[in-house]
Amino acid sequence: MSTATTTAVTTPVMPARPWLTTAIIFAALLTVPVWLPMLGGYTALAGRVLVLGLAAMSFNLLLGFTGVMSFGHAAYFGLGAYGAGLTLKYIAPSTPLAMVGGVLLGGILGSLFGRLIAQRRGVYFAMVTVAFGQIAFYVTYSWDSLTGGYDGLRGFSRAPLNLGFTTIDITNNSTYFYYFLLFVFAVATGLQALLLASPFGRTLVAIRENERRARFLGIPIERHIWMSFSISCCFTALAGALYALLNNFADPMGLHYSLSGEIVIMTVMGGMRAFWGPLIGAALFVVLQDYISSMTVNWMSFVGLIFVLVVLFFPRGLLGMLQKGTEK
Amino acid sequence: MSMLDIRNVTKQFGSLVAVNSVSMQVAAGELRAIIGPNGAGKTTFFNMISGFFSPTAGDIVFDGTTVTKLAVAERVAMGMARTFQITEIFPELTVRENIRIGVESALGLRQRFWIGAAQKAAVNRGIDEALILTGLTVNADRLVGELSHGDQRAAEIATALTLKPRLLLLDEPTAGMGEHETYAVANLIRRLHKNSAYTIVLIEHDMRVVFNLADKITVLGEGKMLAEGTPDEIAANPIVQEAYLGKAE
Amino acid sequence: MLQLVLYNVTNGLIIGAFYVLMALGLSLILNLSNVINFAHGNFLALGGYIAFVLTPFLGYWGALIVSPLITALFGFAIERLMIRRVYSRDPVYSLLLTFGLAFIMQDACRYIWGPSGLQTSIPDILSAPLSADLFFITWYRIFMVALVIAAVSGLFAFLRFTRVGIRIRAGTLDLDTVSILGVNVGMLRSLNFAVGSLLAGLAGVLAAGQVGLNPNMGDDLLMPSFIAIIVGGVGSLTGTLCGGLLIGVAGALTTVFWPAASEAVIYVIMLVVLILRPRGLMGQEGMMS
Repeated sequence: MSTATTTAVTTPVMPARPWLTTAIIFAALLTVPVWLPMLGGYTALAGRVLVLGLAAMSFNLLLGFTGVMSFGHAAYFGLGAYGAGLTLKYIAPSTPLAMVGGVLLGGILGSLFGRLIAQRRGVYFAMVTVAFGQIAFYVTYSWDSLTGGYDGLRGFSRAPLNLGFTTIDITNNSTYFYYFLLFVFAVATGLQALLLASPFGRTLVAIRENERRARFLGIPIERHIWMSFSISCCFTALAGALYALLNNFADPMGLHYSLSGEIVIMTVMGGMRAFWGPLIGAALFVVLQDYISSMTVNWMSFVGLIFVLVVLFFPRGLLGMLQKGTEK
Repeated sequence: MSMLDIRNVTKQFGSLVAVNSVSMQVAAGELRAIIGPNGAGKTTFFNMISGFFSPTAGDIVFDGTTVTKLAVAERVAMGMARTFQITEIFPELTVRENIRIGVESALGLRQRFWIGAAQKAAVNRGIDEALILTGLTVNADRLVGELSHGDQRAAEIATALTLKPRLLLLDEPTAGMGEHETYAVANLIRRLHKNSAYTIVLIEHDMRVVFNLADKITVLGEGKMLAEGTPDEIAANPIVQEAYLGKAE
Repeated sequence: MLQLVLYNVTNGLIIGAFYVLMALGLSLILNLSNVINFAHGNFLALGGYIAFVLTPFLGYWGALIVSPLITALFGFAIERLMIRRVYSRDPVYSLLLTFGLAFIMQDACRYIWGPSGLQTSIPDILSAPLSADLFFITWYRIFMVALVIAAVSGLFAFLRFTRVGIRIRAGTLDLDTVSILGVNVGMLRSLNFAVGSLLAGLAGVLAAGQVGLNPNMGDDLLMPSFIAIIVGGVGSLTGTLCGGLLIGVAGALTTVFWPAASEAVIYVIMLVVLILRPRGLMGQEGMMS
């Protein structure tokens, strides 16, 4: 486990003005349907940002707040997507149930696997998580009859929300669907914020900061890392479920380790020590990727270049740098 | 009955015998210092007491319970706390947050996702208590990583104290400190011992600290127990002088 | 039936040999520098492409020797220019760096040599089969296995008998002490990275003769190599060697009896090892944590 002595990159735990950042972010997100078209964007792009932002923030519960590096989080994202898709296709045309299905599939498998690896650290943890992620990818990819194999899972679509007194048409109205995504995003990140502010959340930061000290304060490290991993997987799977709802499609590439790497780079780009960092990183990454892939067929090089440049020159990420700036 | 009863513990690493059948009894409320030249096996001995690893042979009895094979967390739960030669703290958190994590763990709240106002108040009381006891109140909201060596050590001790330990193990509490800081930390330990009646076992290199603070001293050399006694007895012991100064020929 | 089994065991050994070359290089870098080289498969592809470019000038044999050396030089440069900058940081940065590098190298190969596969030629004497009954065992395959055995023996001899090799092994166990003893750890890591790249480059040249060239030819080998390391035990090169051969042969044998599961079996082996023997077949206690 890295402590500040081995990490050249140090940032404070809480931003200087947490409420201000949160207020700005939600103000921007709530008004997306107003300003995004003016900039030439489309609402589905904002949906992608929310979904991948939620995935990155969920991942960051591990990387940024527990100090544990999973490199296979795409697996839980993808499992969440398939869980939602399969629920809609085979069980019931209910959007909330689809989300539950996604979270259960990703969360349970993540939790089982987490049990096996909680005593591993550092790059070894990363390596085993990558390998496990590829198992999930491989199974999804090969189980043709259930998952549609290489072509992905189709033949389902999100259902209108029935609130009892009224029904919201999130199926055809993309603005309604965007606000539905935003609502789920707000609830999920709110829960994450509460989690991090709880005694349990503090033990995670303690483990990140100094595993030995945490152990000698009586904190059962392996157990807490396992819990953190499981919680992180549940939230990541929720993001995956939303992704399936967004596209009405679940793609085996959604489990591939290249997406895991992208989730990590979004997190680092935005700032892994800042609560909202991964969301900002996801926004930057999604927009850049969208732009670059429309400009050149060699978008992969540019994405790779983003990785290299961020690592070499902006390791703190955007919010990390801003926070450091306001402190001085 | 003694608080800590160590019976003939031995630790072997491969063919190296780091600690060779050492016994030691520490009474409740006692301050025991362990001294010895480098490589005497002090830290290995300490690590066996705190549960870092188990002895190859022998037994460790803590407050009437055999803890020889128990894991760190279980010993902590029984009331054993320790600090390290190289200060182990949460550097990017404030002093208050460092202590808070300890208090919450000690109050059994560490797996709670939510705590009520009463429990929050209890936690805050615990934090203030530890801050006052260690004289860190003025620095409470600074990042521990930014404090001086001596204050970092005090913060580490404060964090350990949140566990309300019945046995406090301090591994070279004044290591790498200047004159002033050594004095301050030694004073803190004295206060804990005299005013708050903590049972303390410490390893220490600074002989002035040892002879000023300790009720009894255990001397290790090459993994074996060389001598045990009050500071006066140890000062007069020819074996100890030989171990430290070499044969006076 | 016997012929089928033999056919698949041969295939398994050859696939295993590639896993071993890849995984040993990865393992060397992982052990000494604590870096997972996600671009390792792209070093393999690079080795293949460089040989393809050199063959018209140097002939097959010349390219076989020179291409891995150029790959090694490239690895050395990459380590010096980029990877060494992140050693002192959280390990997440080195992973992201090699991850990005993999994207760039793959795209560069596609840009330079085109997205579709290229066929490479091998000398006629190597392409003949051993006999009519054993049509699947060509001289090329025997030559390949022999060369892999030679390379692996060479690596172990290098680590055992040369000064640099001994230092690499010592550094794997305790880098601090090695650096206190006055060894230039920075240079040691660069050389070590170069040796890892050399093995990948060699694997690339050999694979090109077997399956041709394409920009993502190394990708399919990367994950099995990780698994070879996990199964063999992190920290043990002998373990990596056995792990690679084991999953190669196990995969091929499964093809005989249950073709659909041939890829799954290596993942099953990994899970079984993780559950029953978390440190791997030959890993030391505590190395994985």
